[in-house]
Amino acid sequence: MSSRETILASIRSHLAASPPDDQPECGSLFTVTEKVPLVDLFKQSLEAVDGHCVVVQNEQQIVEQIARILGDRPRRIAISDAPALKRLVDGEVAPNAHDIFAFDVGISTAQAAIAETGTLVLDSARERHRFVSLVPPVHIAIVDAQSIFQTLGEALAFIHQNNDISPAVTFITGPSRTADIELTLAIGVHGPQELYVIINEGPPLAR
Amino acid sequence: MNHLSSETFDENAKAALADVQLRGALRNATLLFGKRRLEAARSLSNWEDLRTHARAIKDEVLLHLDRYLETFVANAEKRGTVVHWATDAAEANAIISKLTRDRGARTIVKSKSMTTEETHLNTALEAAGMQVVETDLGEYIIQLAHETPSHIIAPAIHKTKGQIAELFTSTLGMPPTDDIAKLTSTARATLRDRFAAADVGISGVNFGIAETGTIVIVENEGNIRLTTSLPRIHIAVMGIEKIIPRFADLDVFLKLLPRSGTGQSLTTYQSFITGTKRNADDEGPGELHIVIMDNGRSRMLAHPVTRQSLACIRCGACLNACPVYQQVGGHAYGSVYPGPIGAVITPQLLGLEKTAQLPYASSLCGACREVCPVKIDIPRLLLHLRGEIIAHKKNGSAAERLAFKMWARVMMSPALYNMGSMAGRLIQKVMPLSKAWTSGRDLRPIEQQSFRELWKTKLSHE
Repeated sequence: MSSRETILASIRSHLAASPPDDQPECGSLFTVTEKVPLVDLFKQSLEAVDGHCVVVQNEQQIVEQIARILGDRPRRIAISDAPALKRLVDGEVAPNAHDIFAFDVGISTAQAAIAETGTLVLDSARERHRFVSLVPPVHIAIVDAQSIFQTLGEALAFIHQNNDISPAVTFITGPSRTADIELTLAIGVHGPQELYVIINEGPPLAR
Repeated sequence: MNHLSSETFDENAKAALADVQLRGALRNATLLFGKRRLEAARSLSNWEDLRTHARAIKDEVLLHLDRYLETFVANAEKRGTVVHWATDAAEANAIISKLTRDRGARTIVKSKSMTTEETHLNTALEAAGMQVVETDLGEYIIQLAHETPSHIIAPAIHKTKGQIAELFTSTLGMPPTDDIAKLTSTARATLRDRFAAADVGISGVNFGIAETGTIVIVENEGNIRLTTSLPRIHIAVMGIEKIIPRFADLDVFLKLLPRSGTGQSLTTYQSFITGTKRNADDEGPGELHIVIMDNGRSRMLAHPVTRQSLACIRCGACLNACPVYQQVGGHAYGSVYPGPIGAVITPQLLGLEKTAQLPYASSLCGACREVCPVKIDIPRLLLHLRGEIIAHKKNGSAAERLAFKMWARVMMSPALYNMGSMAGRLIQKVMPLSKAWTSGRDLRPIEQQSFRELWKTKLSHE
């Protein structure tokens, strides 16, 4: 018998031997969610986990905000392959797993966001986000205001439509953190040390 | 404090109780995690409904685990995942050793996984000539120190920053410091080289979604994302109990797990990984292997009481709430799974002969049951296991059996009970009772009047 058959047979025989169980009861998950201004809530949630957030009205302001975040220091910039970024930012597009370690800043967009938790939702089928949002010490993400959901449940439904899901979906809530040494919070242990989110209230960025 | 055995919980606990620094660290950690958990639970109006719902989902999966596992595997394979089945730890380790050896791997980065701690995978891979690096900061620290985790969520809480600084100075050549930010950035820099060089990344799994074949892994540091994104091969090790039916069920579990573990609304990162990349030049590993392991789990399905052990989502809340864990810490349990949940899982995984002290490592106060996000009745499980120990004790203490028989008789008769409590008061005056009980704590004197006597003489007239 293969290990697969051995394990499945063991599961079946032990379940068959089991005395009858109490019928599991199901809790009601119905809650009334009060509608709130999503941009404000997102900003507040993100700042609570040490992320930075600015709200802009057009592409020109996106460019200005990126310049402000970068400051005067010379920085090597990696961008995802989102078409809007190629247009707005001068950076290297989607460096590979080896080269990405040489960059100071990674810039991506995000396909959605969750206001209640300050979370970015990045989808590998829509954008090469995995390395630029993870390896450089600074991550800047641009998200359209109209892509912000209020709840986790809405975002989960968004990434799982028509029973399909991309190979890699990433939720990001604030910069990388640890409290493994004496329970003291340290920011930026493996992932980015700084996270900036630019919320675009202007016309949506063409993908 | 290393390589402790579950057979000697009582001795391990005594040693831990004598360690003043350990007890201070445990007090800080368990109080802080407990407080944050409570605040996070209160931030949701439907916390109790979420717990009930989560448990119902787990019960549904466990009662049909064969079917859900097959659905998960079929959907994972459709997306290019290679699935392996391991009946026990040795088979899991052999599968992973062969996978890595066949691909000429040298360096392996690992993210925290209780399941691979359970199988002692690192030892097996090192024996096969691989260099294995733990990348979670806490796990990295204890790997450098050749120790084992003392807490599910914070593996190195038993160590001070001073001890960690000494460790980094001697093993990494870092200049002495007691600055936690410097210690963290040293680990970051050292581990980045490992990530860049690694051929294989090995991770655990928090949830396997039957409906889509997706694995979900949650974390705060980013080392799991690095482990599962950068190397060309990703191997995920998953116990058979990690399956949940539907993608939408994550709404419940992603609310409960981080709040119960660290008091966060969400951890910093959730990775949802479904098969391999679609185009060769996409980012991410070219191969995804999932090793599904039984290792003693399926036999827990045979009884509703033991079956609930498999509902555990490894949040660590019961550790923080447990008055025993708060005093002795994780090492005393002598197993990868400490605390109340460890006291019920370890005996079922390893057998009661070697772990007979663990079901007694509890005062049965019920704090673990109160905080458990999936409502596991741990006290009932502990009693169930104690019952099995007694039932299998062929030459158990005849005196103990007699004593309990008498106790039952007395408790059923009000007259005998009254006589007993009077006798108890008299005896306590003349001789110290139960030396084993009083060596570590004071025995409270029995009140001079019982409630029944008070009721008769005073209370019933008020």
